[in-house]
Amino acid sequence: MQLNNILLSVSGKRTDDDILRLAGRIARRSKAKVYVVYVIEVKRSLPLDADIESETRRGEETLDHAERVAQEQDYEIETELLQARGVGPAIVDEAVERGTDLIVVGLSYERPFGEFSLGETVPYILKNAPCRVMVYREPMSEGIK
Amino acid sequence: MYIIVIGGGKIGYYLSRTLLSEGHEVLVIEKDQAKCQHISDELGSICIRGDGCEATTLAEAGMGRANMLIAVTPEDEDNLVSCQMAKQKFNVPMTIARLNNPKNRPIFKKLGIDVAVSSIDLILEHIEEEVPTHPLTHLLSLKDGEQEIVEVKVPPTSPVVGKRLKDIPLPRDSFLSLIIGKEKGAQLPTPNTIIEPDDRLIAVTRPELEGELMAKISGS
Amino acid sequence: MKLVIMGCGRVGAQLAKLMDEEGHNVTILDVDSYSFRRLPSDFGGRELLGDGADEDTLRRAGIEEADAFVAVTQGDNRNVMAAQIAKHIFNVPKVVCRIYDPLREELYETLGLDAISPTKVFAQLLKERLES
Repeated sequence: MQLNNILLSVSGKRTDDDILRLAGRIARRSKAKVYVVYVIEVKRSLPLDADIESETRRGEETLDHAERVAQEQDYEIETELLQARGVGPAIVDEAVERGTDLIVVGLSYERPFGEFSLGETVPYILKNAPCRVMVYREPMSEGIK
Repeated sequence: MYIIVIGGGKIGYYLSRTLLSEGHEVLVIEKDQAKCQHISDELGSICIRGDGCEATTLAEAGMGRANMLIAVTPEDEDNLVSCQMAKQKFNVPMTIARLNNPKNRPIFKKLGIDVAVSSIDLILEHIEEEVPTHPLTHLLSLKDGEQEIVEVKVPPTSPVVGKRLKDIPLPRDSFLSLIIGKEKGAQLPTPNTIIEPDDRLIAVTRPELEGELMAKISGS
Repeated sequence: MKLVIMGCGRVGAQLAKLMDEEGHNVTILDVDSYSFRRLPSDFGGRELLGDGADEDTLRRAGIEEADAFVAVTQGDNRNVMAAQIAKHIFNVPKVVCRIYDPLREELYETLGLDAISPTKVFAQLLKERLES
């Protein structure tokens, strides 16, 4: 399988490091380009282009951290900070625009109401992304810790 | 503009689609999960599920920065409350409500809703327009009903036939803006324009003066 | 007093019964005739089928001469709209309505409606009971 263009969605959560390592392995083998995006979800009470300092800082830190992990893994990434109303649609739009052929997302093992939940982002991407999608779910033990 | 639409039925959907294509930022609030899903699938993530009369939902929707609220649910009481919440609690400058029952127009107006639109009234206006024997036709309501544009046909027996415009006393606040003659076509009126039989006069007037205007022009 | 009640649910029917027993002139409205079964068999007031958020129905119910109007249907917005029609169009001297949603109740209180939120009242009651 030849992959040229991989889109990685990071969120500042535990799974980021693992998917960055995973993507590194795929990228080195296929010499694919890896775009790493962090999406700031902007509440409706603010305009889409609002400057949300704390969120921007968190996003930049997350992307800086991604750069470091990629360096350790010896591959190059391109990072981007996006603002959108929802993470799922933003990732799908980005994938379409860039002609991505694989999206990689992480899913932490969470049980918000005592039940495991896929959340909103992953199902949206699975349903709407035109390209391949890889969902990495962390081990249960990580989430329950 | 940031426009919030309450109700994601057929009207809400097509309205939002048009507003989006005109470049506005649009958010739809809809109670029903399936309708929400349909809008999100077709128009992108512009729909939230919730009760458009509940303050928390409206706050989450960013009502505080909305320029306009349009309530188009099939229930007048829901449209009324959404508009009142928007106006009174969030100071939204412009509120528009769909009127399902045209009889509710006075109460909506009295309670501060900026514009109330009734599809029934609109259809009735068109019917009026199509009835040729009707001597006065409403063409358009201006400034929320304070002024209107009407069309009056000049009967051949009218005393104004053959007179110059400057010699015809019109009611106050009433102006002729266009004259459409059978042969001469559309003309901008001047003080010296002579009225001919069967001319159609397009006039701006106030609703309470239309009887007086009719009387002057048709001579009845 | 001449009283018009909109909504013949448990609360509406109970209120109608109490006011009727005290000799007041009561008219009670509901959109469903089946609701009138809640009234006692010796109810002396008038039962009227119709939507109280409709001006014509209110007129038929005698709203123009009413001293008081109470809106207690299941729908907050319906109650709010009917109460505002009674107050602002028919100038009924005393208008009271039920609004379950506490936030909506607050807003309409500030807009001059006499509104009661059973949600707030009942939660408060429970709290007091727990604390006693």
